[in-house]
Amino acid sequence: MTTRVESLSDLLAQGEDEAEIDLTPMLDVVFIMLIFFIVTASFLNEFGVEGTKPPSVQNVESESKSIAIKIWSTGEITIDGLTIDPRAVSAQITRRRAENPDAGLAVLAGRRAKTALVVGVIDSARAAGFRSNPIPISELQE
Amino acid sequence: MRRSLAQSTAEEEEGINLTPMLDVVFIMLIFFIVTASFVKEAGIDVTRPEAATAVPKKKANILVAISANNEIWIDNRKVTPQGIRAQIERLHAENPEGQVMIQADKESFSETLMVVMGAAREAKVSVSIAAVN
Repeated sequence: MTTRVESLSDLLAQGEDEAEIDLTPMLDVVFIMLIFFIVTASFLNEFGVEGTKPPSVQNVESESKSIAIKIWSTGEITIDGLTIDPRAVSAQITRRRAENPDAGLAVLAGRRAKTALVVGVIDSARAAGFRSNPIPISELQE
Repeated sequence: MRRSLAQSTAEEEEGINLTPMLDVVFIMLIFFIVTASFVKEAGIDVTRPEAATAVPKKKANILVAISANNEIWIDNRKVTPQGIRAQIERLHAENPEGQVMIQADKESFSETLMVVMGAAREAKVSVSIAAVN
């Protein structure tokens, strides 16, 4: 009995001694994790324009109201059969939109048309006010 | 007597209080864990087309690159047109918030762009095309 009490008090005394936990190993781990996450943190800041591919081309073409911009494989851009300079696309869209504010927009790109042209046309359309929705891009049947 | 008292207090404050530093370190740790998005780079560098209206896309971290000779790269690997959808779905499952960012070279054909956009639409992920201001 006495020995037990003695051992218990010993234990208590020991517990008091080790009341302050040694934080060093935890700190080491936390620092290593911190450094890992700092190093792997890649703050990607990519700029872009939104686009979407509609389910089928028919839907786009049946909408007579929409402004259809065709980008041919040759690099030619046409709206209603009228060849337009890439820099004038924005002005054309603005004008057509003023005539018909409800008009939608469809970009039709030929198979061999350069991405630079497609993005240029999307950019022009966005500049002309088509910003809220992703601009539909479909394949142009040449 | 007084001297011994001063000595004892000095001894007591020998161990620096690490609690405030630990708090700061933990907050930094949590911040970096939360912001870590583990972006998987596409694997090739492309010449992006120019667009004045391009805006930063924070959530676009499924990167699909199209090289000037119309090769499609995802996650450091070249992908066949048939395999794009599976790759996009895999990356989207890993990161449900993520959107597709197509890094298309300005010289690439829109045909390839259409293929990637079609695959993204089938995988029900919204798409952006990378550009520079």
